[in-house]
Amino acid sequence: MPDSIIAILEQHIASKILKQPNRRIKPDEAIISSGLIDSFSLVDLALFVEDTFNVRMDDSELNAQTFDNLDQLASIIQTRQKKS
Amino acid sequence: MTIVQIAILAIVALILGRLSKGRELALLAVSAFVVFWLQPDEPFVTLRFWIPVATLGIAVLAWALTSAPEARGWKQNWPAAAVLVGVVLLMDLNRYFKLEKVYITGTPLLPLTFGGLAGIFAFVLLLLRWQKANRFWMVITFIGIIAIFSFLKTPSLVKIVSDFAVNRRGQGAGAITASLSWLGFSYIAFRLMHTIRDRQSGRLPSLTLGEYVNYVIFFPSFTAGPIDRAERFIKELRVPLSLGNEDWIDAGTRFFVGLFKKFVVADLLAVISLNDLLVSQVKTAGWMWVFLYAYAFRIYFDFSGYTDIAIGLGRIMGIRLPENFAAPYLKPNLTQFWNSWHMTLTQWFRSYFFNPFTRALRSGKRPWPVWIVILVTQVSTMVLIGLWHGVTAGFALWGLWHGLGLFIQNRWSEFTRNRMPAWAQSRHGQVALNIVSIFVTFNFVALGWLFFNLSTPIIAWRAMLRLFGSA
Repeated sequence: MPDSIIAILEQHIASKILKQPNRRIKPDEAIISSGLIDSFSLVDLALFVEDTFNVRMDDSELNAQTFDNLDQLASIIQTRQKKS
Repeated sequence: MTIVQIAILAIVALILGRLSKGRELALLAVSAFVVFWLQPDEPFVTLRFWIPVATLGIAVLAWALTSAPEARGWKQNWPAAAVLVGVVLLMDLNRYFKLEKVYITGTPLLPLTFGGLAGIFAFVLLLLRWQKANRFWMVITFIGIIAIFSFLKTPSLVKIVSDFAVNRRGQGAGAITASLSWLGFSYIAFRLMHTIRDRQSGRLPSLTLGEYVNYVIFFPSFTAGPIDRAERFIKELRVPLSLGNEDWIDAGTRFFVGLFKKFVVADLLAVISLNDLLVSQVKTAGWMWVFLYAYAFRIYFDFSGYTDIAIGLGRIMGIRLPENFAAPYLKPNLTQFWNSWHMTLTQWFRSYFFNPFTRALRSGKRPWPVWIVILVTQVSTMVLIGLWHGVTAGFALWGLWHGLGLFIQNRWSEFTRNRMPAWAQSRHGQVALNIVSIFVTFNFVALGWLFFNLSTPIIAWRAMLRLFGSA
């Protein structure tokens, strides 16, 4: 399950945010602290996650301390899906 | 804080860290005492007493407003209330103890202090009992905090009050020309607003009075941050981290490195840091750059040194404060600079301003074009961060400088993303590009400090022209 979440996230970030459809993002690659995703795109990513996976991302969670790679983001999404 | 005050607090932190019982209350007592102890002179002498009382009072009121029902019981909260009242009365009694070196002796008469405390107590009871109106009071408190904050940060308004006080007292011998200041308010205000917003969104954990006030006035981070988040702070307040040998070394190193950065490096750099006078005296561009760089490094070493001291003191007591700096001058772009400069403040503004604002603009019925959203949100956020330092044209321009910088950087990286020449993707090419990027980013930030540091935009502009050899 997390693998498919990661794949969806990777695809969205590569094609929609970075506009480089062929770009690969490793599951443990830093995406926020590295500057790959800026603060604006981070909000866009949160909106995408909320719409796609039907979970809530709070505005105060959009930072590298909460998640900094696809692995971490996917496990947050999974935990919240189980709860609801 | 002076080095002596820091040394005393370090010893106190060592003792507090070793307590196994009553630690939370002892920490509360020390932090409350520090609020009085460090408050500087005021144009009205008794304000040096009443402002700390207001700091504690506003924290207690905000607790009453934001506390979860299960955390409101008298049984779990009376010890903390007793500690706070005890500290206030003890400080007031200095009119009889006459310990002039510790605190002012011109404190108010006891009945006045009792009156003030009774007023706060009554208000707290009202808020606790009359829960239905809490939503309303949260909005009022939020606006009130911003209003007080704006007043305290506007030099011209503060000057009017200070001058009034000095005139009233007369210019006789011994008249203090201190200006009005509320120590720690910049940070307290942002902690309070965070808890109010999180309470409104239902995310604030349940906190007792002792936990809440400890969070707001935790003495290592009271005067200069970092701005922690309540849910993170209380975890370690409840169960302090155990300290192994390595942790002791880490905490101690952090503390002493901080002292060195602040009191040696920053204070030495201060001698050659750019200021108004130097701008009018220096004739060559070369020296202007030297003085500007000196200022850029001074402000970094000063502020990050303070943070190191705070983090070190926290660690000694088993509480890990969040990082505030992560090598900001070695970042290849402005986005990453702001991910590593005064991070806890930036994160605060992202959580409670930038993110909700961007979200609102992105999810409206007719979403605005991306570039307009980025321009509006980045510029407004950075101008607000500028104004946080003071409501002056210089700070606003500094914010504008960075807001536009972030916008331009965003557009530039959009533009170049799929246009990178082959050489730039080679290993050497990437290294070279990285070095150039760090150089450009650092200089952009350094030039921004002109607006931040010099007293008027005109002087800043004159300095800018001279740096580029045209004046």
